[in-house]
Amino acid sequence: MTSTDRFQLPLVGVPGEAVTNRRAILKAGAGVAGAALIGYAPAVIGQVKRFSGVTLNVACWNAKYPVLLADYLPEFTALTGAKVNYETQGLQIYNQRADLELSTKGAGFDVLNITFVFTNRWIGNGWLTPLDPYIADRNKTPEGWDFQDFLPGAVSPLRDAKGAAYGVPWVTDSGMTIATRYDFLKARGLAMPDTFDDLEKIAGLVHQKDGVDGFLTDNHWGFWYPPLLQGYGGDIFRDAPNDLMPTLNSPEAIAAAEQLSRIVSKFGPAGAAGMAYGQSQELLKSGKANMSTVTHVAGMEMAAPGSKVASTLRFAMCPRGPKGRFPGIASHGWGIPEGSRNKDAAWEFIRWATSKELLSRMVSEKQLGSVTRRSIYGSPDYRKLINVNGQDTGQLVLDTIKLSDQGHMKYRTVPVYPQVNVQLNQAIGRIVSGQMSARESMNMAQTSVLADFRRAGVKV
Amino acid sequence: MLVLATLTVVPGIYLALTALTPLNLANPATAWNFEDPLGNFRSMLEDPSFLHSVKVQAHLSAASVVLQLLIGLAVALLLHTSTRIRDVARSLLLIPMVLPPIVVGIVWLALFTVDISPIHRGLAWLGMPVGPLLTNPSSALWAVVLAGTWQNFPFAMLMSLAALQMVPASPLEAARIDGASAWQVFLHVRLPFIAPTLVVAGLFMLIDSVKAFPLIFIMTDGGPGNVTEVTNYYVYRQAFSFSLWGYASSIAITLVAAVFLLSYAIDRLTSRLDKTQGSLS
Repeated sequence: MTSTDRFQLPLVGVPGEAVTNRRAILKAGAGVAGAALIGYAPAVIGQVKRFSGVTLNVACWNAKYPVLLADYLPEFTALTGAKVNYETQGLQIYNQRADLELSTKGAGFDVLNITFVFTNRWIGNGWLTPLDPYIADRNKTPEGWDFQDFLPGAVSPLRDAKGAAYGVPWVTDSGMTIATRYDFLKARGLAMPDTFDDLEKIAGLVHQKDGVDGFLTDNHWGFWYPPLLQGYGGDIFRDAPNDLMPTLNSPEAIAAAEQLSRIVSKFGPAGAAGMAYGQSQELLKSGKANMSTVTHVAGMEMAAPGSKVASTLRFAMCPRGPKGRFPGIASHGWGIPEGSRNKDAAWEFIRWATSKELLSRMVSEKQLGSVTRRSIYGSPDYRKLINVNGQDTGQLVLDTIKLSDQGHMKYRTVPVYPQVNVQLNQAIGRIVSGQMSARESMNMAQTSVLADFRRAGVKV
Repeated sequence: MLVLATLTVVPGIYLALTALTPLNLANPATAWNFEDPLGNFRSMLEDPSFLHSVKVQAHLSAASVVLQLLIGLAVALLLHTSTRIRDVARSLLLIPMVLPPIVVGIVWLALFTVDISPIHRGLAWLGMPVGPLLTNPSSALWAVVLAGTWQNFPFAMLMSLAALQMVPASPLEAARIDGASAWQVFLHVRLPFIAPTLVVAGLFMLIDSVKAFPLIFIMTDGGPGNVTEVTNYYVYRQAFSFSLWGYASSIAITLVAAVFLLSYAIDRLTSRLDKTQGSLS
């Protein structure tokens, strides 16, 4: 008998049938207390096994949180009666499947991750279900679940232009700088870089110290280039989302591309230009490269058991350029496809999967390092978990997410960004590998993006 | 027949029809819009990225077929006399061909990663260090060709072995009696006999090279820049990254037509080969 079955005994009892057994009363009390403790009692009391016979199809990409969540799924089934077919895939594969499923308004999935780069496309096209009616309905959502507890910067990408919510965030990841061998910097009296110029200078000073390369980041240039571009005062589009004329060959864009390519090619290991996420993470973890721009989640992997650089790791905010600091920030959240035939059960799943109680347990039991609730950021358990070598990285994350108020990530959530992303990846790749100068390559990117837009019927 | 039609003809017709529309999944109005049925094909001819991908495809296909044929034939010549060691070697050499392409991609990605590759370490130890091949625009495509050759040369080897075993003994014996060297025997007796088989094998390999997707997906993602972006990888981007299914379908149907032409050529060649062998016997 599970704990859930125990607390459900008095609730599913036949009317008029007294629960006379003392042990049963105690068990029931413990069950209800347990349910209350995990914040689930109000909904469960009203909806005992409400979803028996329902099978939910849920999919996400294989980040840490969705992978860890799989261990807790039997609890959800025990609480609600709903079975869950759960799958996690590589991000790219997941995005393709979800995009196809949503665009055809299929009923194959009941809960899907809303991938950050697709937020505008999926929400703007009406492919997802508005969640405000569920959030406001006290029969479906107890007050204690508290939607206001989510970081505004995490929720805002999951809203439409009118402010309606379509997703509940489970991660907000933010771009940072790390030094895997901060001891090299300290030995030279260097602080963590505050500007991109500092980063370039420091990467040069520590390059090849004890055979460790000065800088390495993964080749997703569509994510790592915009902070430089915006730092120089440029942007991807003239004024996203209203004016989508790309500005990839502006003087700022060329200067930023030159600097990024210079840092990567001068201070990176052999083949740095083509290192995908997994490869660069392994090299950083094994101490073969020092400075890097990574997301907080990726940076925390350097502090995990098995990392050779855990004791010398240091974080800093994403560097700023002459015009300001514009770190990459990405939110992902659970949403319900418009075509789902089990929307109530799907909402129950989302509410359960993002409840304070479950997330707190995932922090304490599974060391979940990236969360979206303010209350968990404030908890001592969480702060302890993300304290790295005496540094409170949680504060860095909060400070970074706060910068999203600048609205600098708007470029990323427009429906046509995937086209630009591919062109940026190719453009920086051409410069780093020496095929073209920054000016030639960014001119080519601008021309190619315009051609892609024409083909997609986008008017600029 | 119904199953065959369901599995091949119906999707084929759907692909062909989609190619005549500007289908964009983000814009439902573009579905079944036949206002400009040749628009996608015109765009293809004006699209420098597509034309570039065709050039890359041609380069990759030509290099792959030539290398696979040469290596396959060379190994077949070494193996076609049967000894126990050669029988074992023959079986071992077939392993790459039966590996899933994704596994081959991962293996070669590791072998081309300077920091962990035994090849790079070995060459460095010998005083001949080699830089990263996959991120060098001059060598990236050749690195993919090498990985593909490793995977597919056993097919050429098998075909060559089968053909070599079909060469009749009497002309070989006559050539030897006339004092021909081993090279002369190969060039003037064996090669003319096996040439038709090699041509057919080459055409099969050419068709197969058009499907060079997994290695590129795993090893280079089409880069650096777009130097390894072959045509079907370009199709993949248009369909799955940009949702331009109409345009992607038009390129795909063009590729299908090209493969059909090649298949027709194989059929004609095979028929001619059969006739030639029939007249010889």
